[in-house]
Amino acid sequence: MRTDLFRFILKSAPVLLVFAAVRLAYGSGDDPATMLRSSVDEILSIAYSGRENETLPARVRPALEKCFAFDLVTRQAMGPGWRQFSPADQKRVTQLFSELVIRTYSTRVVGTQRPKIAYGSPVTIASDRCEIPSRVSHFAASSSNEPIAVVYRMIRLPAGWRIYDVLIEGVSFVSNYRAQFDELIQKGGAALVIRTLEAKLAAPAASRS
Amino acid sequence: MKHFIFGILALLFGLSGCAVSGKRSATAPAPVASASEATDFTNVPAQKTNDPLQRFNRTIFAFNDSLYTYALGPFAHGYVLIVPRPVRTGISNFFDNLGFPVRFINCVLQGKFTRSAQETGKFVLNSTAGVGGLIRVSDHVPSLADVPAEDFGQTLGVWGIPPGPYIVIPVLGPSDCRDLVGFVGDYALYPLDWYPLGIIHHSVISDAVLIALSATRYVGGLPKAIDTYDQMKSAAVDPYIAIRDGYLSYRAAQIKK
Repeated sequence: MRTDLFRFILKSAPVLLVFAAVRLAYGSGDDPATMLRSSVDEILSIAYSGRENETLPARVRPALEKCFAFDLVTRQAMGPGWRQFSPADQKRVTQLFSELVIRTYSTRVVGTQRPKIAYGSPVTIASDRCEIPSRVSHFAASSSNEPIAVVYRMIRLPAGWRIYDVLIEGVSFVSNYRAQFDELIQKGGAALVIRTLEAKLAAPAASRS
Repeated sequence: MKHFIFGILALLFGLSGCAVSGKRSATAPAPVASASEATDFTNVPAQKTNDPLQRFNRTIFAFNDSLYTYALGPFAHGYVLIVPRPVRTGISNFFDNLGFPVRFINCVLQGKFTRSAQETGKFVLNSTAGVGGLIRVSDHVPSLADVPAEDFGQTLGVWGIPPGPYIVIPVLGPSDCRDLVGFVGDYALYPLDWYPLGIIHHSVISDAVLIALSATRYVGGLPKAIDTYDQMKSAAVDPYIAIRDGYLSYRAAQIKK
């Protein structure tokens, strides 16, 4: 009987090891797919709650801050120029850029038709990073019914899994901003970046009709 | 002369759908290669874009922006208000279905034979059960629901031809040299363009019908194009670069599909 048990354990060892490795990598109940789904669900519930859009940025901010690594996203969007910024400038740029991202998201939410999202399986790209593909359909803003390919890039930070980039139809959110900020930083450093962001935020947000 | 006018009309509006709809980029998303970079991406420099005509391009961009904001945008908005969504969807589906030869031949030119068979299946199904392409029945068939659309610009990319300098075209918006050449190939393959090219005889279809069809096709594509343009512009700190990067990235991703 003991021999049978020993053989069973030996045979099961590889499976158990893989299982343990997966548990260690993702942490119990802390896998990126679950985190992403629950975060997106929470954000969409707030965005499509039927309340007025003027207060949406303030209402959706906590949920976005919970799933987005805004510090990391801002640092990436600034590229190598980030190192030239003083700590005070870095803090200010992070604050302004986060504000812009939240405001931009909020202005795009219109109507009552909540988009449907079909998630694919996570694709591991490093021990602490993965990509989760998805298809978003019936998006109220779109004038067509074609689903949009959205890939979430996620990173495991001490606080848990966070989104650090989003690719929409192959266009990287971070790379797109990096291309824009690169020229600004070369022209006028952190001061010009801050001035430009402040001017952008001072202008009324363009909302979708 | 008539052929020339049709050609210009098609050029003006035919590309605008893809041009301002947020297509493409020469700057592919910067890959994050190793775990050591996980918390410090700032050592990855931005990729340089092939844009030697930037000053000229920015002038054309400013002109196009005014055109989209003050003319085409309000026009597209009015179209959405007046024409009910099911009718708009039907129009869009009809002209999309008509583009079957473009997609099919480019699938074959790229050696994507399974995809060319899927395109044929979509065309047959939508043309019959979908009442001449007005209803996209194929969306309800899993194997036909999500077939990436191929065009000649992508075919040239698959063949290894580089995009060349980035160009902003008056009215049409962003493009590159490869896509401009690609547009000529797609133009020749789209059935509505066979009339001005002399492939379809004048007795088959009247000028008035062709003008009406062409106008409907281009107007139908406007709302989505303008909406995408507005979205990108409203989120950008430098709309010119945001749209240039978005266009080139989108095209690079389409070629990889």
